[in-house]
Amino acid sequence: MLIIGISGCGEKKTEKTSTPKPPLKTESQSLQLKEESVSEPVFVTEKTRKTYQWYCAQCHGIEGKGNGVNAKFLTVPPRDHTKAEYLETRTDEQFFEAIKFGGLSVGRAPCMPAWGNTLNDFTIHELVRYIRELCQCEAL
Amino acid sequence: MKKIFHLLISGWVLYSPILSNASLIEEKKCAACHRLSKIENEKKGPDLFYAGNKFQSAWLEEYLQNPVILRRTGTINNPYFLKGELQNLRQHPILNKNDAVNITQELMAITLPGFPEEKMNPLTKGQIAKTKYQFERTFGCISCHQSLNLAGKPRGGISGPSLVNAGNRLKKNWVANWLKNPKIFSDKSRMPIYKMDDETRLRFTQFIMTFKKENLR
Repeated sequence: MLIIGISGCGEKKTEKTSTPKPPLKTESQSLQLKEESVSEPVFVTEKTRKTYQWYCAQCHGIEGKGNGVNAKFLTVPPRDHTKAEYLETRTDEQFFEAIKFGGLSVGRAPCMPAWGNTLNDFTIHELVRYIRELCQCEAL
Repeated sequence: MKKIFHLLISGWVLYSPILSNASLIEEKKCAACHRLSKIENEKKGPDLFYAGNKFQSAWLEEYLQNPVILRRTGTINNPYFLKGELQNLRQHPILNKNDAVNITQELMAITLPGFPEEKMNPLTKGQIAKTKYQFERTFGCISCHQSLNLAGKPRGGISGPSLVNAGNRLKKNWVANWLKNPKIFSDKSRMPIYKMDDETRLRFTQFIMTFKKENLR
């Protein structure tokens, strides 16, 4: 369900690249608004891939092509994580925020929930690297 | 002699219902697919060690006689979970009415302790509208769960259990506790953990309980 940077369910919003915006009033109390600093290098491990399969693949698909089992029931299709054309226009910070705080936090799809109470920051950073691996792209 | 007779009678009165129900669950081999305690290894069917907390008995009795598919991808331990709906899903065995009633009684007795009833007030129209918005947009529940849209049609993803009939299937207090701390019931879940404040959580609970198949159009 890690829909990265797509338009809202049924509506398209303007780009937002500013500081992290807490997506939910109700959750903002429990989520840290600033990401923890990551002192150690982040690599994609087998555990990262399993985490992606366990949570993200439900919507984004086993291979990250945006064709998970939920995809055809969503108003806005989940992001295809293999498409570099779009993903290279997004920063790693935007990926991180979308995963941690949900799609709405970066002005994108509300279908993408916030995973900040489920996954720790380091795991989210690993997932960001994995998405970069899937798209074989880096931020421009 | 009289004491022994009394002992036998009281033992029969106390234990016979449990033994007879337990033997029926055993006879039907429910434990082959369902965990009846949390310490067991994962199984392909939904956990039943908190069935009495979770299910409404009338729904369970009906389900056991006329099983319906609640999760079109299968349960989270289904190896085909991510590979598409309705693949390799096995229909639940169909029981006759008598067995369904008896097993339901047994399952209703399987509970986890420590869930006092939470007081919830009926939702106003405004609260329903607000919660519907949050259900679909703020929390994204609809991405994985089917529910009913304003026109009374099913709408939503299929990786989570359908909520179309949640109001008849689930107990309100269980929904409230699941939203509060799902790990009490399941160490593994594919659903995000939401740390809702109590007002939101109880409002969501009430909202989910409004989903009933009689509202399908």
